[in-house]
Amino acid sequence: MKILLIEDDRQTADYIAKGLRQHGHVVDQVDNGRDGLYMATGDPYDVMVVDRNLPKMDGLSMVKAARDAGTRTPALFLTTMGGVDDRVAGLDAGADDYLVKPFAFAELMARISALARRPPMVAQTKLQVSGLEVDLLARSVARDGKRIDLLAQEFKILEYLMRHAGEIVTRTMLLEKVWDFHFDPKTNIVETHISRLRSKIDKGFDRPLLHTVRGAGYVIRPPE
Amino acid sequence: MSSAPRSNTFRRILRSANFRLALIYAALFVVSACVLFATVFVTATAAMQSDMQAVLRTEAFQLAEIHRRLGLIGLAQQITRRMDFRTRGPIYYLLQAPNRQVVVGNLPGMPPVEGVIDFRSDSDAGETDADRGRLMGFGLVLPDGSFLLVAQDASRLLDMQSAIVRAFVWAGGLTLLLAVAGGLLLGRNFLRRIDTIGRTTRAIMEGDLSARIPARGTNDEIDQLVASLNTMLDRIQTLMEGLRQVTGDIAHDLRTPLGRLRQGLEEAREHATTTGEYATATEAAISEADTLLETFSALLRIAQIEAGAQKSAFSELDLSELLRSVGEAYLPAAEDSQHALELRIDNDVCFTGDRQLLAQMVSNLIENALNHTPAGCTVRLILTRSAPTGLEIEVSDNGPGVPESERDRVFDRFYRLDRSRTTAGSGLGLALVKAIATLHGLTIRLGDANPGLRVTISH
Repeated sequence: MKILLIEDDRQTADYIAKGLRQHGHVVDQVDNGRDGLYMATGDPYDVMVVDRNLPKMDGLSMVKAARDAGTRTPALFLTTMGGVDDRVAGLDAGADDYLVKPFAFAELMARISALARRPPMVAQTKLQVSGLEVDLLARSVARDGKRIDLLAQEFKILEYLMRHAGEIVTRTMLLEKVWDFHFDPKTNIVETHISRLRSKIDKGFDRPLLHTVRGAGYVIRPPE
Repeated sequence: MSSAPRSNTFRRILRSANFRLALIYAALFVVSACVLFATVFVTATAAMQSDMQAVLRTEAFQLAEIHRRLGLIGLAQQITRRMDFRTRGPIYYLLQAPNRQVVVGNLPGMPPVEGVIDFRSDSDAGETDADRGRLMGFGLVLPDGSFLLVAQDASRLLDMQSAIVRAFVWAGGLTLLLAVAGGLLLGRNFLRRIDTIGRTTRAIMEGDLSARIPARGTNDEIDQLVASLNTMLDRIQTLMEGLRQVTGDIAHDLRTPLGRLRQGLEEAREHATTTGEYATATEAAISEADTLLETFSALLRIAQIEAGAQKSAFSELDLSELLRSVGEAYLPAAEDSQHALELRIDNDVCFTGDRQLLAQMVSNLIENALNHTPAGCTVRLILTRSAPTGLEIEVSDNGPGVPESERDRVFDRFYRLDRSRTTAGSGLGLALVKAIATLHGLTIRLGDANPGLRVTISH
């Protein structure tokens, strides 16, 4: 994947770039908004990671200008510990996702992957991983032809995991996409829901589909 | 030593706004006094002149009438009589025959002139007018060619004019003096009050936040200014004390986890030998650091919310749907910790607010109830519509509750009941709840659920 990283703090930028390169990505690093805009509108990138506060041109204006110039590259916004306003402003400017600093690297990685492989625009009505089938119209779930009853929130979690099958989905991503919670509850809401979901879709089958990735999140993938 | 500051004070008074104002008023007074003076002077002079002329004209025509009846001799006799009696004030007469021979009179002879004339008599013209000598006369050429002149001393006019000038000079001078003196006095008084304000602000700058400016109680502009300054100082003091308390709290409450973090890392450096042991230590350090970051972010959030900066994200939302989704999110967690979580939510309750903050407020309350009550307890989340626009959110439990004496303090940052010190939590949850409720204009109350705690948020 070719990633444009626009971050002025040298240490943070190096940390992110190093991690991304270890995962086999190509990273172009820029330390100010003006150069960032130049690069973003010139070369095709799979994802751009943009810091909110940048010299010469702040991240918000940069993303907005890039969007106005017709650049459709998915943008991930990095903000400092802030309020809801920052997030809303970022999304309004044309960013596709945001991440509050400081963050775990696994979180950044998961979000970049989710952005780069966005679901196809054609409306899907059925999602399938191995024998697990989700019918989005009938809102029904079955595994190997056996019907599984899920609660509304469990269905939403499963739908999100299935749409990103094979990719790691983090706890905070689920909190945001399933519950629209942009804060971090102290209680393990996600874990408890996942354990119930797991007991419904994996229990009684010899090969589990829903896996926990330690220190990162969850993934649904077919058994090898 | 003492003269330098005094002259300094004097210079300051001269420069003071009040003194300048007094000077401007004095100058305005002088200008208007001059206009008034000119008007009075001209009018009075004209009135007196016409009065004198009228007297002279009447006298001259009376005498002309006598001349017509009794002839020159008769007139001469009449004039002599009038000169002797002087019944009508100092009037001077001159009767000249047609050959310019003075027949009778106490004025020197002159070429005949008709009408009003101003002239100067010689020094020997009489005993009273020698010093002044300015006369106003009325001349009349009689039918037989003889000339009659009646005159009056013009000094009355001059006297009056100089009296007017004197009066104005005195009154004007005195007023000017009073204005300057008053200006100086007012300026000093004004400066004294300004100095008090200056002294107080300096005291505050030096760190005495409790200093306040004394008001005089006259409720004038300066008093009003002093009152608003004092109110501002009260607010600043409250904010500063809040800040000081938070700083203290942060120092105290963050030192412990930071200490633990350091200990863990030191321990690993000294004793860890295997990769596994290092991994465990790193894991623990990251989790400590996360806790610290969470605390920081919670503090920041509270501060932002208290500053009211988040109102821009307000929108009309379905509170029933929001609360239901928050409540349902906690159902499995409550079940795992062996709590019963009951949701009793009225439908279609709408409210204008920040969706994220309201969700966080309710989830903090639920978490608080779940974390601080033993297994087997029931936690209820209730939303009721009251009155047309009112609503009430209630989170109650049947756990140990909060003693009445501590109910106010649980909303303070980092405040934790003694028995809660061992459970996880930052002590910021309820402070955040309070801040969010206040931002939304909601009232929050802690009550007794008999047994247990009942938190009621109403609008």
